[in-house]
Amino acid sequence: MAILEIILLVFLIFSAVMAVRFDEELISIIFLSIFSLILTALYLLHKAADVALAEAVIGAGLNTAIFMSAISQIRHGDSD
Amino acid sequence: MLNNLIFIILFMLGFYALIMKTNLIKNVIGLNLMEAAVFFWVISFSDIGGEISIHKLGETMGEFNDPVPQALTLTGIVIGASTAALLLTLIIELNKFSGTIDRDKIEGLND
Amino acid sequence: MNKLMKKTLISAVLIAVTFALYQNFTLMPEYRGLNEGISDYIITYGLNDTGSLNLITAVLYDYRAFDSLGESTVIFGAVSGIVLILSRKMLPVSSKGLSFIVKRTLGIITPFIALFGFYVISHGHLSPGGGFQGGVILAAISIIFSIVYGSAFDYRRYSPQTKTVLETVGALIFLGIGLAGIVMEGAFLSNLGFLTAEKGTLISAGSIPYINIGVGFKVGAGLAIIFYSMIQKTFEEDF
Repeated sequence: MAILEIILLVFLIFSAVMAVRFDEELISIIFLSIFSLILTALYLLHKAADVALAEAVIGAGLNTAIFMSAISQIRHGDSD
Repeated sequence: MLNNLIFIILFMLGFYALIMKTNLIKNVIGLNLMEAAVFFWVISFSDIGGEISIHKLGETMGEFNDPVPQALTLTGIVIGASTAALLLTLIIELNKFSGTIDRDKIEGLND
Repeated sequence: MNKLMKKTLISAVLIAVTFALYQNFTLMPEYRGLNEGISDYIITYGLNDTGSLNLITAVLYDYRAFDSLGESTVIFGAVSGIVLILSRKMLPVSSKGLSFIVKRTLGIITPFIALFGFYVISHGHLSPGGGFQGGVILAAISIIFSIVYGSAFDYRRYSPQTKTVLETVGALIFLGIGLAGIVMEGAFLSNLGFLTAEKGTLISAGSIPYINIGVGFKVGAGLAIIFYSMIQKTFEEDF
């Protein structure tokens, strides 16, 4: 079980770095959703079942939907 | 020791996205990353190698994990989502008013 | 100040914060909650005090029920703020929805999602779950209606007035149980012990299932109102 935890932690940091890096917002939000999914698996490895259920529903479901509906309504400025 | 290191890395990534990037949506993403780092660190405290802290009738249970940090994390997750929704609403209205979502280019903010 | 000095200053701030966080771990005392703190008491006496098998639900809705009331108030404040900012005066534009296959498939699946949401809410004291998780699952049904069928369908099916009434009913259930605790046992939000049956059945653990139902309605309706308000697009207005 230690090897699984180390692989998941490496993917966690990788998706967090990718979420911060890009300039276009759609790619950042997709990487944030992947980050939330890996965090759910890590909560389950630490034997916290309620928190994993809450993070799966809220983090990967509601948060992503709200972010996506927000970036579909913005218009970038003319000078960019 | 590994959990402490991961907490520092994720927290500083979120902090960097909060103060160095000028895109307003990147700031909200950075805030979410900082909160997720704190929740992960608190849950790693509650793990002593026991079982899920739910009783089963008719069986003798071993050691339980700590239930108090898990209850606090549950509250924190819901409050983080509500705060992000309110911040995004304000960003939508600001974009209608000034046409851009860059922190440096909004007129009237830097004088 | 010019750009180079600004960049150096910000890098110095970041390095200082990282170093402070790292020093934190050598100066912090050891975590003692399991040996002599509150967690030891909750693990030993939690089942006999409240009657619920799930210890996390017992902490959230019996020992620290006031914090759950505060969290419901935070959600209520966020919903009020969002609806106040995004109120529309013109006719909203609705989309036509996705293709025919998706509409038929979701029409078959949606009752099972609702059943699963009610299961997670009502079995909060017997298995992992509770009011917050089940409430968000119920809010996901409204999100599915808005995306797959168009927001006009969601308006006709569950209008925002209906969702507001549901949210108010949920809050009143929570507060009503709290005030009944004052009348019957002398403390706000104390566990009403006379509603208990034996441990492990569905109607047990005092007033915890009823608080779960109240919180589930409130959280579900609130988050559905948030999503419905944020996807409205109107015609162009002049500022």
